[in-house]
Amino acid sequence: MSSRSPAAAAPLAAPSVSRRRPLGRRLRRAAAPYALLLPAAAVIAAVLGYPLYYLVRLSFQHYGLFQLVRHKGESIGTANYAEIFHDSLFWHVVLRTIAFTFACVSLTIVLGTLVALLLTKVGPFIRLLLTAGLIFVWATPVVVAVDIWQWMVDYEFGVANWTLTALHLGDFNHHDWFANPWSGWAVIVSLIVWGAIPFVTITLYAGLTQVSRDLTEAAAIDGAGPWRSFRDITLPLLKPIYVILISLSIIWDFQVFNQVWIIRNGSPSTDYYLMSIYAYVESFKISEYGLGSAIALVMVAIMLLISFVYIRQMVRIGDAE
Amino acid sequence: MKARIIAAVALAAALSVVVSTASGGNKSAGQASASKLVVWLQTDAQNGWPTAVAGATSAFKAQHPGVDVEIQYQEWTTHLQKFDASIAANDVPDVIEMGNTETSKYMAARALSALKAKNYPNSQTWLSGLKQSCTSGGHLYCVPYYAGARAVIYRKDLYRSVGVKAPPKTYAKFLAVGKKLMKKYGGNKNFSAFYEPGQNWYVAMSFVADYGGQIAVSKGGKWQGTLNTPQAIQALTVFKKMVRSFSRASKTTDEAHPYPSIPFAKGRVGSFIGNGWEWPYVFNPKGGAAPKSFAKRMGAYPMPSHIPGRYTPTFLGGSDLAIPAQSKDKQLAADWIKAFTGSNPETIIARAGNIANTTTLVNVNKSNPALAPFAKAAKYSWFVPTAPNWVNVENANVLKNMCTAILTNRSSVAKAAGKASSQITKILNTKS
Repeated sequence: MSSRSPAAAAPLAAPSVSRRRPLGRRLRRAAAPYALLLPAAAVIAAVLGYPLYYLVRLSFQHYGLFQLVRHKGESIGTANYAEIFHDSLFWHVVLRTIAFTFACVSLTIVLGTLVALLLTKVGPFIRLLLTAGLIFVWATPVVVAVDIWQWMVDYEFGVANWTLTALHLGDFNHHDWFANPWSGWAVIVSLIVWGAIPFVTITLYAGLTQVSRDLTEAAAIDGAGPWRSFRDITLPLLKPIYVILISLSIIWDFQVFNQVWIIRNGSPSTDYYLMSIYAYVESFKISEYGLGSAIALVMVAIMLLISFVYIRQMVRIGDAE
Repeated sequence: MKARIIAAVALAAALSVVVSTASGGNKSAGQASASKLVVWLQTDAQNGWPTAVAGATSAFKAQHPGVDVEIQYQEWTTHLQKFDASIAANDVPDVIEMGNTETSKYMAARALSALKAKNYPNSQTWLSGLKQSCTSGGHLYCVPYYAGARAVIYRKDLYRSVGVKAPPKTYAKFLAVGKKLMKKYGGNKNFSAFYEPGQNWYVAMSFVADYGGQIAVSKGGKWQGTLNTPQAIQALTVFKKMVRSFSRASKTTDEAHPYPSIPFAKGRVGSFIGNGWEWPYVFNPKGGAAPKSFAKRMGAYPMPSHIPGRYTPTFLGGSDLAIPAQSKDKQLAADWIKAFTGSNPETIIARAGNIANTTTLVNVNKSNPALAPFAKAAKYSWFVPTAPNWVNVENANVLKNMCTAILTNRSSVAKAAGKASSQITKILNTKS
């Protein structure tokens, strides 16, 4: 797996060859990759750079409905940041968002790995069924999925309460899953993890099929149990996949919005605020767009900080190649 | 290294999902050209009086044959955010329905066009409360659409089964019926003698008004939240006790999730406080789908006050129709509003359980035993503070959160009311 093909090594040798070539040609050669990157960079600047610039500008302005109608904000320096940093609810929400992300990502990765390992053990028919089930989950649009979950845990007519009561697991008649934020968050985390597992599982399964039997068999002969073999052979080999999956999961779960918003009927109480929801409420519900932008930017900063470690890992893996 | 390739493919697949989601974005509110008029109405019209809407549109089309009318139905919880987004994008609807608690913020921000009352039908006899919600600085910014009062909708047969033949006239008798119902039917865990969704803050605030409390008062140009006053705390304590003994509705959702008419139609509810339109909604396929014969078992009465001889004040809700300042065809918009607020459509709207926008139609429901109590209930009413920022209090769920905190016992009445009060003070005094 780590054996490098001769073709891949060829470009590395290129600079030493080019030393003897004319300068103009060398420059053109050096510029070519950048020229090729240019169109993509331009698109990114247009669709991402400009909104980001606008967001930064908004965060230093007082921008309410009055300003919105005129399309013109009032500069107020760092007052928006001062306000959120002095807001105890804000810090509460930041911590909750980080804890929520941690819970979702770890559950997704662990359960995704277990299902992927299961896929390698079962027969072709069961594997087909399982894969189809995973694809269905993946293909379900978020709004539809949340509606179904909402119906399942509904207070008045929900099937979850009915089933749990019918199974004599207690009196779940009129059990309100969202009255206690812990149980409410448990429902939301399950919903997120449920929706995230297919992608993780299918990707990991693809990786597992590439782990050479020779290695695991050799390890087994040397007396390694399944756990040892997984830890010392499979895991290191799949590291690049895990790094990508964990980074993506962090990015996704840190900015979850729809699931919480819809399952709380578009008016979550402060117990159900994540940073994305807090920013949205300040902006679109209270028309404090400047304040909302400041929260959104702090959110971006925290996310960059958290994912920095993983991005560095990714770059390192790239360099090692 | 195959693992790396798989990782790259996974990344590409993930990104392509993001891109396809992003490109599947919103359809705009409407490229307002002379050939198309975009009207935002709330779903209440779609559920309750679609014929009035259709009639107005066909009358309008007779007048402007080349113009298409696109009615886009909106939800109360999201329509203002969508409207703000449409303002930002310079792509506003030509007509927008707004609740009478929502208009002041938009009038203050000059987001609505000034109108001339005399151009609209029945403007001499408009309901004064609604007209007031359309007026700012002496100018008119919207047209009254309809109003609504809330009353108790109840099961006559269940009341009779516990020996109560007439609707209670005092709060003590209201409590007595509730107790009897809970005793007889409360063994069924789904049964509520009085069904009160925990976040239906309109009912909680009716109690506050009944005990002489207010949500906020204006003193010397400054607003002050007043739910922490002794009157308000006493009222909320009485409210909490009543709801916790009679209601098994969820304490974390509002009166639209589900509509009380649904459990009511399923026979799980002895009574609930609802708008006039919620009576016919009991028979609507979306609102409970009760058979027509169910009507014989239903009745309504104004909620009695703890003060003998009075009713608990009802929230005087209502809706107005406005033309956004950025609308590209204000004349067409005005013509559609004229067609929709004439006596004919207003009669249909009133028959659907509402109070028409004009006093000339006040007697439409007088002979209808189902709907007459709602008009009676309007005799005692309350309204939200008239601060320009008021709707931000609603949008930030301050009162809903307070009700949930009180009813779930997560915090004491005094603590929850104090917290809400200071939030209200802060929001109402924020400069816009």
